[in-house]
Amino acid sequence: MLRFVFGRARNAAVLLVLASMLCFGLVVSAPGNVAVLVAELRTPGATFAQIAVIEEELGLNDPLPIRYANWLSGVTEGDFGISYKTGADVGDAMAGRLSVTATLLAGAAGFAVLLSLGLGFLGALRPYGVVDTLTRAVALVGASTPTFFLGAMLIYGFALSLGWFPTFGFGDGLRSWILPWISLGMLPGCVLSRIVRVGLEEEMTRPFALTARAKGLTRNVILFRDALPNIAPAYLNALGAQATAMTVGSVVIEPLFAWPGVGALFLQGVQFRDFMVVQAGLLIFISFFILLNLAVDIAVMFLDPKLRRQGGH
Amino acid sequence: MRLAHKLRESLAGFPPLALWVLFAFAVVGVLGPYIVPHDPLKQNLLAAGQGFGWDHWLGTDHLGRDTFSRLITSARTSLVGITLVMAIALVIGLGLGTLAGYHRGWVDEVIMRVTDVGLAMPSLIIALAMIGIFGTGYWNMIIALALAWWPAFARVSRAVATTVMNKPHIEALRVMGASPLRIYFGHLLPATTGSVLVYATADAGGLALSIATLSFLGLGVQPPTPEWGQMLVDSLPYLESDPRQVILPGLALTLVVVAFNFLGESLALNRVPRPLPAKLLRLRRDEAAGWSALAKGVKA
Amino acid sequence: MSVVYEVRDLTVDLFTRNNAVRVVDGVSLHVKRGECLAIVGESGSGKTVMSFAPFGLMPPGVSVDLAGEITLAGQSITGMAEHDLVPLRGKDVAMIFQDPMSALNPARRIGRQIAEVCELHLGMTKPQSQARTLELMRLVGISDPETRLYQYPHELSGGLCQRVMIAMAVAAEPKLLIADEPTTALDVTVQSQILDVLRDLQTKLGMAIVLITHDIGVVASIADRVAVMYAGRLAEMGPVDQVLTWPKHPYTQALVAAIPRPDDAVGSPFRGLPGMPPLLAGPIRGCAFAPRCVHAFGPCTTQRPPIRATDAEDWQATCHLLSHEVEVLA
Repeated sequence: MLRFVFGRARNAAVLLVLASMLCFGLVVSAPGNVAVLVAELRTPGATFAQIAVIEEELGLNDPLPIRYANWLSGVTEGDFGISYKTGADVGDAMAGRLSVTATLLAGAAGFAVLLSLGLGFLGALRPYGVVDTLTRAVALVGASTPTFFLGAMLIYGFALSLGWFPTFGFGDGLRSWILPWISLGMLPGCVLSRIVRVGLEEEMTRPFALTARAKGLTRNVILFRDALPNIAPAYLNALGAQATAMTVGSVVIEPLFAWPGVGALFLQGVQFRDFMVVQAGLLIFISFFILLNLAVDIAVMFLDPKLRRQGGH
Repeated sequence: MRLAHKLRESLAGFPPLALWVLFAFAVVGVLGPYIVPHDPLKQNLLAAGQGFGWDHWLGTDHLGRDTFSRLITSARTSLVGITLVMAIALVIGLGLGTLAGYHRGWVDEVIMRVTDVGLAMPSLIIALAMIGIFGTGYWNMIIALALAWWPAFARVSRAVATTVMNKPHIEALRVMGASPLRIYFGHLLPATTGSVLVYATADAGGLALSIATLSFLGLGVQPPTPEWGQMLVDSLPYLESDPRQVILPGLALTLVVVAFNFLGESLALNRVPRPLPAKLLRLRRDEAAGWSALAKGVKA
Repeated sequence: MSVVYEVRDLTVDLFTRNNAVRVVDGVSLHVKRGECLAIVGESGSGKTVMSFAPFGLMPPGVSVDLAGEITLAGQSITGMAEHDLVPLRGKDVAMIFQDPMSALNPARRIGRQIAEVCELHLGMTKPQSQARTLELMRLVGISDPETRLYQYPHELSGGLCQRVMIAMAVAAEPKLLIADEPTTALDVTVQSQILDVLRDLQTKLGMAIVLITHDIGVVASIADRVAVMYAGRLAEMGPVDQVLTWPKHPYTQALVAAIPRPDDAVGSPFRGLPGMPPLLAGPIRGCAFAPRCVHAFGPCTTQRPPIRATDAEDWQATCHLLSHEVEVLA
């Protein structure tokens, strides 16, 4: 068991190093001279001499491996450098925004899980019945609606027209969190509900479901007791993938609701070609994906008796 | 006549509603500029913010541009965008995938590792980062999306190519001494392309969403070119006073994505046996009832 | 001895997307308390459907129609709705399936899978059902039940899994046990152990057993009576030692003749039955076996043979030869 965890953790570590190289390489390969940008930032109309000084200062003349090592050691201490556009410390800006994005992702993921299990089970209780057809239609439309469109519609309906929730902002607590959570969680929730619905029905066709029926258990009991534990690993894997996609969704939802999160800052970085912000954001996102996958792998191992015991020997 | 029949046959089994929507999408996308009632770019501040009417069927936006014409032109933008990204991603994905499937061994290993890393990351984040480094613009968006999309195609191509390579007729060709080039271009590539194209079509919904999302964020299709996501973000400040201008492009985009996804869902092999529809069950019951009558007749 | 389970003139139609199939055609049989009835036939002869369909146990997505009368423990269950059948399953009638490895839920501990039957049908609490589970596991010969309780199916051998299935099936002391090829997926040595367990339980609990098999060896070692099926119809039914020694129906004769004998020379050819069983997707006129029967004559292809009693008690066969007083050549 421990060996399994260590193996996965080692793979994750290798991926993290690769991701850091990618992020570093992306900025290095960016067109244009970074030193010129920084010089412009400090003194508009900088001379070549000034630019040369800055080049030296930033270590741009060092060989690439040394630059990478310097950058990486900074990153591990939370130093992501200084924005070439605003001069602000990127690491500080990101750190202050992490909790906002975490709130968004946790709430949206929670909504997606509830929605997917609700829709999926509702359909599986009576396959091909009226309720099943309806829930599948909802899931199809929900899985196809653009996040930004749903967000706009929710704002129009529940904030502007009904006035139940604020139209934007993060500070009002739960009341201001509901709409962003639903906007971001709807699409993944609907995608996941199809996995629940199809997975449950597939399990119900397996021989052990017939055994359970022969025992005298009702269909609903079999769904929960026998089928659910068997779809859990596949569901968790899909949830991991959807959570990854939700991270990208934060780039859309945070600006829409004016939340001061990592996604909003990353988008600004992209829009204004602020390399250091793009680099930091990308590194944070990818690190999150890798750690999330590691967590999913370990959770799946605990849920799958075969994997758990094999790891134990 | 023959072709129409063949087309009909190959489309049977797909949800007809989805097919009709996609057909309409394609027709509008191709014919867009020739059938629009108004110039989609022409501003007329005097006619701004109109509701549904005879002159402007679906009203006008805050700059007085005809919404109906802009929706139609957006379909073309979207269709062209999807086609371009698909074409580039398919060339890369099919090429690498079939190469991996043909060669196996270390070539396969290397290509698939890279593909796996690409697949593990959400495609939009890569596209966003690339746009952030290389700048905003239509072609940057197309290339960024294509680079984010090819791993999925490579994976499918390899899977299909491997099964094709394992078929007996390929083995027979080898024994007969057919050149590798002939096997690759004459048999493997054509056999793989078909299945991968089908997969790509089913996957196009996600691509339509991504193009719209990037345009919504101001990173893709640039104004004044009409695009659904960009139309939506354009009208967002006027959401309270004129929600129609936000709802219409959103609905148009959703409709197309629903159609693509519906198609994709029906393509995904449904391994679960379905109960017989009531009509068919009745038919079978009648069939069985006929036997009993026949048996009695024989006895009598 | 009282009759536990009886079907009269049972017909089962199975409907698929492409056709309708009459998988069981006018079968009547019964099984008494403490008795083991073996149902023999090649695959596709309708023996499994015949045994499970009356209790509503068809795989999902399969539509069947039943006709005939079905009686379980003195109660008619003909045409009973699903929610009336559910409480009978596991309590009055229990099932054992062919492949024990896949018939157990891979994601749940085996102890729980047995215990839930006791909780459901005997109204036991969790500690009670656990004690009963241990008792049952010992009863079916599972060593070290305290450890096994917490194991998963993939950690047990096929033979142990089948023992678990049996423990599960007899947990509520059902009156009837239907065993569908319980030994087919197992090693030969394990097969006889499982049969021993079944025979042992039968005497202890006085269950009636319906054993579905295509293995004549299994029939000879455990069954009291045997019913031979062909193409969804009953070919012959009677006491095992008599049917296997002096088969009346040409199909049974061919089956018995196909059993390898110890005095066969090494390398002697396999005595199979030539030809294929008929397609069931249409009415069969006459005797279903006629096309493959070496004795077929006039009425065999036009008239369906009725079930006829033979000279011995409780022994029937459906063959025209019997009615025409023709001596059957063995």
